[in-house]
Amino acid sequence: MNKVITINLGGNAYQLEEGGYDTLRAYLETATAQLQHNPDRDEILSDIERAIAEKFRALLASHKTVVETKEVAAVLAEMGPIEAEPGEASRPGASSAGATSGTSGQKTAGEEKAAGSGGTPRRLYRIQEGAMIAGVCNGIAAHMNIDPTLVRLAFVLLTIFWGTGLLVYVVMAIVVPEARSPEEKAAASGFPATAQEFIRRAKEGYYEAMKGFPDRRARREWKRQFKREMRAHADQWRYNWHSYWAEHAPVHPGMGFALPFLSLLQGAATVVWICAIISLLATGAVFGLALPANVPTWVAALLLLIAYGILVGPLKFARRACYYGLGRPRWAWSFVFLLDAVVWLAVVAALLWLAFHYLPELRDAIHSFPAIAHQAADDIRTWWHGK
Amino acid sequence: MSVNEKFSAIRKGLLEFLVLQIISAEKVYVADILKQLSATEFATQEGTLYPLLSRMRREGLLDYEWKESEAGPPRKYYELTAKGREQLRETLEYWGEINGTVKKLGQK
Repeated sequence: MNKVITINLGGNAYQLEEGGYDTLRAYLETATAQLQHNPDRDEILSDIERAIAEKFRALLASHKTVVETKEVAAVLAEMGPIEAEPGEASRPGASSAGATSGTSGQKTAGEEKAAGSGGTPRRLYRIQEGAMIAGVCNGIAAHMNIDPTLVRLAFVLLTIFWGTGLLVYVVMAIVVPEARSPEEKAAASGFPATAQEFIRRAKEGYYEAMKGFPDRRARREWKRQFKREMRAHADQWRYNWHSYWAEHAPVHPGMGFALPFLSLLQGAATVVWICAIISLLATGAVFGLALPANVPTWVAALLLLIAYGILVGPLKFARRACYYGLGRPRWAWSFVFLLDAVVWLAVVAALLWLAFHYLPELRDAIHSFPAIAHQAADDIRTWWHGK
Repeated sequence: MSVNEKFSAIRKGLLEFLVLQIISAEKVYVADILKQLSATEFATQEGTLYPLLSRMRREGLLDYEWKESEAGPPRKYYELTAKGREQLRETLEYWGEINGTVKKLGQK
């Protein structure tokens, strides 16, 4: 059985065998290198992708949904090598792929081979996309495969309590290189860059194609189709990420059994949070702690929400690690998911039931909730109009 | 070196001229161009044609418009611009001269 990879070509999703995917990627990378000095590079690449897509489509039928490796090779042989136009890439040596593209491309290819089956080698880079300052935290997060918010939080805490965070940050901002080329971006996270690259290119093709459609109906149809395929792509991306986790999660398989406990903890946190919100709305104070005079209720509620997020975030993270620590068999996942959900729901329901029956304040609070909600809505409205 | 090999550079240079001529007849998309060329000595592939077409468009010789296809992504249909037609006319004329020269030289 071969692994299948979904890709997006010219706005349509195709499933390729892994070997075929590698062949196609190599072809497109060579093409990109050949067209390096061509001002129409992106356009030609999307032309090429569309042409490949059409050929793939011709190969597929209702009972055949995957393009095989040898079919990919045949299609690419039919396409022929991308030849740099004499006017554009007339520098000496440009005819051999990547000769003028500098050493970086070749080096990456070499490293990739050196890394063996591990795919793209992973290195620490700063990543500017979605960065707050210089992309240091972003890069570390990608490198360690965790949420950048956690890394940022760690830096902030380091700065507040020990004062070293800022220093470390500045040093790293200077020392760590920035990921610029697609190869470096891929190396920063260890994932192949192609998925993102395909999305970017597909989007370009999307807008370009939009211009050409004669009427609104055709445009809408194209848009709908495009969105569907983007969604499929996102699912695939998520799945890849999850299976990546399954292979690399630093946990013992036995940790799957810790899952219900983590869920209980999270459930408890949720219940405490709900109680806090209710007590805030009912009495204007959180568990007897009165708010400062000038803080409106909704700000306090928002702060509670943020606090909850910070508290529950690591729990969620640990739970995810446990899921994927279970390893390969998918049924084990679904079983644990189910167990987890049942335990969680049962605990929340039981606690709410208990609270409802033994805490008259809570009962009163729930009864008076509609009025409080109205009050809160009014508060917000007056605040908004007063602004 | 066979004649075929010796002429490969010339064939390559003539490709642009032939593409102009094909497009001058009707609006076509790349697969049509490839099909018309496939039966000739000038048979070529997408990998060569797309960069060529994009350069010709940049030079203002041709333009394209998007058309939907029944199945698959929309296609680019190419047509000549006024400049492209003018170029084709000049090239045909020049080609005629070259042909004449080839025949005339060496004859007594």
